[in-house]
Amino acid sequence: MINLQDMRDTARNMLAKNEVRGVIGYRRSTNGMLAEPVVITKPEQADELIWDPTCFHNLSLYLVEDRKFLAHTRAKADLPIAIIAKGCDARSTVVLMQENYFERKDVYIIGVSCEGTGVLDERKLVKKGIRATNSAFDGDDFVFTTEQGEQRIPAREVMADRCLECRECFPKEHNIVLGEDKTGRQLDAPFTALKRFEELDPAARWEFWDHQFERCIRCFACRSVCPMCYCDECIVDSTSFPVTGQTTADEKANRVKWIERSATRAENMTYHMTRVLHLAGRCIDCNECERVCPVNIPLRLLNNKMEREAREQFGYEPGASIGGPSLTASFLDTDPGKFIR
Amino acid sequence: MSDNIYLPELARITHIKEEIGGERSIKTYRVEPVEGAAFEHECGQCAMLSLFGRGEMMISIASSPLIKEYKQFSIMRVGRVSAAFHELEVGEVVGIRGPYGNSFPLDDWRGKNLVFIGGGVGLAPIWPLITTALAQRADFNNITVFYGARSASDLMYKAELDHMRSNADIQLSVDKAEPGWKEFCGFVPANVLDKKPSPDNTIAITCGPPIMIKFVIQNLQKLGFADEQIYTTIENKMKCGLGKCGRCNVGKDYVCTKGPVYSWAQLKELPEEY
Amino acid sequence: MEKILAKNKLDDWVAALSDWQVSAPIMEDDIWSYKASKGKVQLEHSNTVQPPKGFSFPQREVFFSFEQIKGQPPRLTPIQPKAARHAVFGVRPCDGAGAVRMDTVFNDQFQDNYYQARRSNVAYVGLACNKPQGINCFCQSVGGSPVSSQGMDVLMTDLGDRYYVAAVTETGKALMTAGGKVFGEPSADDKKKLKQTHADALAQPQRAINNVDAVPAKLKASFDSPLWEELARACIGCGACTFLCPTCHCFDINDENTSSSPLRGNRVRTWDNCQFPDFTMHTSGHNPRENQGARLRQRVNHKFQYFHENFGMSQCTGCGRCITECSVGVDIVNVVNKVTEHVG
Repeated sequence: MINLQDMRDTARNMLAKNEVRGVIGYRRSTNGMLAEPVVITKPEQADELIWDPTCFHNLSLYLVEDRKFLAHTRAKADLPIAIIAKGCDARSTVVLMQENYFERKDVYIIGVSCEGTGVLDERKLVKKGIRATNSAFDGDDFVFTTEQGEQRIPAREVMADRCLECRECFPKEHNIVLGEDKTGRQLDAPFTALKRFEELDPAARWEFWDHQFERCIRCFACRSVCPMCYCDECIVDSTSFPVTGQTTADEKANRVKWIERSATRAENMTYHMTRVLHLAGRCIDCNECERVCPVNIPLRLLNNKMEREAREQFGYEPGASIGGPSLTASFLDTDPGKFIR
Repeated sequence: MSDNIYLPELARITHIKEEIGGERSIKTYRVEPVEGAAFEHECGQCAMLSLFGRGEMMISIASSPLIKEYKQFSIMRVGRVSAAFHELEVGEVVGIRGPYGNSFPLDDWRGKNLVFIGGGVGLAPIWPLITTALAQRADFNNITVFYGARSASDLMYKAELDHMRSNADIQLSVDKAEPGWKEFCGFVPANVLDKKPSPDNTIAITCGPPIMIKFVIQNLQKLGFADEQIYTTIENKMKCGLGKCGRCNVGKDYVCTKGPVYSWAQLKELPEEY
Repeated sequence: MEKILAKNKLDDWVAALSDWQVSAPIMEDDIWSYKASKGKVQLEHSNTVQPPKGFSFPQREVFFSFEQIKGQPPRLTPIQPKAARHAVFGVRPCDGAGAVRMDTVFNDQFQDNYYQARRSNVAYVGLACNKPQGINCFCQSVGGSPVSSQGMDVLMTDLGDRYYVAAVTETGKALMTAGGKVFGEPSADDKKKLKQTHADALAQPQRAINNVDAVPAKLKASFDSPLWEELARACIGCGACTFLCPTCHCFDINDENTSSSPLRGNRVRTWDNCQFPDFTMHTSGHNPRENQGARLRQRVNHKFQYFHENFGMSQCTGCGRCITECSVGVDIVNVVNKVTEHVG
């Protein structure tokens, strides 16, 4: 079990000793029982930090935001920034470093082990008809506070799918770590949900995605929440082309419009297909994209498909090590297919 | 057509003049309706120009309301639509809808001195005002036009300005000294401070890059102009021109309907969101 | 016109509306959304994820198509929205109030006939909220009520085994008249029960915006508050809050080409969102709202200050969707309270 006091003390001490600029963590939101991301910069804010089953956000997104902010304001950071990172969050931090988005010394990773319980899937809880005002980890259970009193539920019943299939709930890359290493305590085989889906015949799968993409409203929450979607310029919206005083009229005029703004099925499909391809070998299955989708498009199936292809074809594991090769920028002599030689 | 607020009318380009060359060139276009009469407008109003297949852009109308047969627009080549506009030739047909926004209260200014202060392409939005005032010259006292650009080759409406010299005090400037330039060298606000127009019974109207406007207003205040004597016209990104698409607001005002013309007394009450 | 409808007669009423397309909240893909009813209407929904604003303001609207053969003038063909009569059941009072705000925007100064063509064919059959639909409801803080008939054509109230059905507009009367004998006359007891139900609904606790009458002025005074930046720190700049808002009306207009030679395409309106960084970016690259704090301020001030100054009402109707659906905890009630509490 993670002792919340340890987390708070760690953050407080580091801020007090001026070892980090800030700590990216979780605090209680004003929206019911949920946690929300926060960046604390003063030691006295350390007591705001929390750790409970609603800490599902992948905070490495805020490392990207921090980088962008520094670049935009042309500020120089003398100190690293600290981040509370679960196993999956640490892996995405590794991918970002692999891609040189920032350096290892820029980040202080306060690892938190999920110890095999993972985090909550709010929708599963809603389906059980439970309206809770608080949640807590307790061994293999989640404990919820409801109007009817305390309700204890085995974590695996309401745990996020990705956590059920998680192979690495322990943040291997860390400066310090809280909680025990319970790697190997995976509850479902990897790609269980994907396998189930692939049992459908191609026509049924097509119909399925047709239906899913039909209702995408292109709010871009999936893209905005993804730490890997850090591009300044994204092909899906012609307008987010980063224009500066130096951008020439020609550059603006000749910009290719790949995707229309209309949220029609074909355009939506192009958007999601493009995104998933750009995530191949980079997505570490934090599944934030699916969680934040207001219309419940099961984006994890797409990401998982890419992940499994990379694993089966190339033995590739995203976010394994900072110095390791990236999927699309490296090749092996043993790679299947001859086109590369 | 009139009940469809988004449907442009077709207009033919009858005249094109290149004011300034280069990558960010400026061209002046005259357009006439393909059918019927053009809409009426007032000084300071804008219109949405369409290039079908490319999109729309909001441009201030640069011709005097006294001219009924055509409307004039001076367009700098800066973006997707304007760059494509620059490829057009005389005779081609574009879309136009408008007029949009409020206008300068020229009628209230009769009998007064007018000081116009423009920079770069910012001369275009106040050009209808200048030309209308000059066409009704007897209604106004002294008329002064300050106008400056980076260099002499960046000055637009050069010939027209020269023609005006008999009727108005024309004060041109370039940012940096260059061979053959005999008038003021330096930024427009500095030229204003140098020539010291009197605030007595005077209205000053300025348009140009935001930074220029800022210093012009400061210098006018130094010369004793009250906030109510200073007018400017502002711009923001626009899509509809009708106060509905929701992006051009400065505080509670949509610039496309409540603006673009503001006295400094009005504008300083609004947040600086432009 | 006020009637009683037994719950098991609801489908008979719907069946009687043969001149109308009927939509109602349906649970599909684990979310409530308005769908064609297919003859069965069950009103046991909590509020839908998407408000009904799309019935009159769809995410995509084609204004006109254009065609241009080289050397010839372009030909424009305006597209009129298909105007089938549409009855939407189960609309909650916050969304009815939302329709009033949308009507205000699209009819102010210049009438938007695309909006109006759809709107005039949509009838809202509302359902009062006997209990708040979620933990983030705050309609009573923004001039609304869980039993309000604002924006509705009919307002239904759940009285257990029956609905109390009241016409609000002439269209509403027509809808009820079409139902004919499926309705009964309300008894004195029904009326008493209605009164009690509404009183109970109004007494249900909700979230609250503090000192709401002072909010517009206080926001005006807080424009330069450093809190905006701080409160937007977690914001990821997506469009969930605005796209799901019953009153957000901002849009973009683009040309979507279907052929380049001859040039063919459509001029299309699509929803847009003030939280996207490029929403206000000038062609020059200058952006009057450069950071997420300024963009959060715009969303909040538009709802609680600017709309109030322009139209004398809050644009926010307190449905709570932007709170519930925000993935990182940006909470408009909290933001308004936090920003305004520091102003005297």
